[in-house]
Amino acid sequence: MHKWSIFKNGILNENPTFRLVLGMCPTLAVTSAVVNGLGMGLAATVVLIGSNLMISLLRNVIPNEVRIPCYVVVIATFVTIIDKVMAAYTPGLHEVLGIFIPLIVVNCIILARAEAFASKNSIGDSIMDGLGIGLGFTLALMLVGAVREVLGTGTLFVAKDFGFSGIELFPQEKGALFMILAPGAFVALGLLLGGINWLSRKKEAK
Amino acid sequence: MDKQQLRLILVLTVICVAAGAVLAWVNGLTEPRIEAVKELKKQRMLQESLPAAVDFRTDATLLQRARETIGPEICDLYLGFDDQGAPVGIVLTVESRGYGGPIQLMVGVAQNGRVTGISVLGHSETVGLGAKISEDDFLKQEALTGVTFEDTLAISKDHGKVQAVAGATISSRAVVRGVNRGLAAARTVLNDERR
Repeated sequence: MHKWSIFKNGILNENPTFRLVLGMCPTLAVTSAVVNGLGMGLAATVVLIGSNLMISLLRNVIPNEVRIPCYVVVIATFVTIIDKVMAAYTPGLHEVLGIFIPLIVVNCIILARAEAFASKNSIGDSIMDGLGIGLGFTLALMLVGAVREVLGTGTLFVAKDFGFSGIELFPQEKGALFMILAPGAFVALGLLLGGINWLSRKKEAK
Repeated sequence: MDKQQLRLILVLTVICVAAGAVLAWVNGLTEPRIEAVKELKKQRMLQESLPAAVDFRTDATLLQRARETIGPEICDLYLGFDDQGAPVGIVLTVESRGYGGPIQLMVGVAQNGRVTGISVLGHSETVGLGAKISEDDFLKQEALTGVTFEDTLAISKDHGKVQAVAGATISSRAVVRGVNRGLAAARTVLNDERR
């Protein structure tokens, strides 16, 4: 039951995008479509689980004073290994997700979880936290992506790399191109953040 | 220096050295496979650009000549031959400056001057916008595929026939510019050969 609550915490109470407001750079950059959000989210989840595991393993060895450089080295090593292994053994998937992987190194969610959770908790709990936070990040990215994709192009779930042309809700010419561009990311994220704050306040007031 | 400080240095050093060792090991393990995958991908792209050919050969002299007449944007040159060993065409890889960085293109031209295939090898254009230059909706349009090396292409905004990707004029223009360079290089090389 304890593990389950750690997992749920990452998706709801401490959702990295909507609650902790971390990792905004990849959130704004890749959410032009649902599938891009899914790709980035899953890649980040794998790295999160791996880095949380490593940091948790080393938590008694790393002295407090040099913990940040140690974490950065561990995370960067882990990301590079994943990048290399994917390029060698799953080239198709690497081609699709390849652009997201170097971005993960600078994703502060990974470092934040290493610092706030993995360095203080057991290996099992840290893996669970990585999974929960990772999926929370993935869901949030997909949500922002859905808003932008629908308003911007009139379609949902377009995945050209997998040969899926998406669900057309209205013709592309009627879409607001602006939603796909950078300003649309800020607008969509702002509205979603506001909406979620409003919902949770209403729930608290009850 | 006291013991505590020594410990900090030691731990950080050990972690960095361990990370370096692991990375070197992984790199040694994956590098040959990554190279093989790259080579395979290149062969597949060449095949797509010039379907009639089964064998591709580079030619340093012709590449040098194409670079001198057209410019340094010409990256590579492949001559295509069929299973009888007869020349069927030429494939050029061209680099063109896009919105987010260089765009690498492959342009295949048959011996008679007809374009046989245009593909995007790599780019760093905006996801969901400029990145659409690598999709079939843009690359497979008649104004790009149904041309010969005598043509000079332009997007509709520049009074041409190529339909640019909506909201990505710079990226589309870069592709067209690269294709034009490739066509010009193909013209130079193939016309030279005929003489």
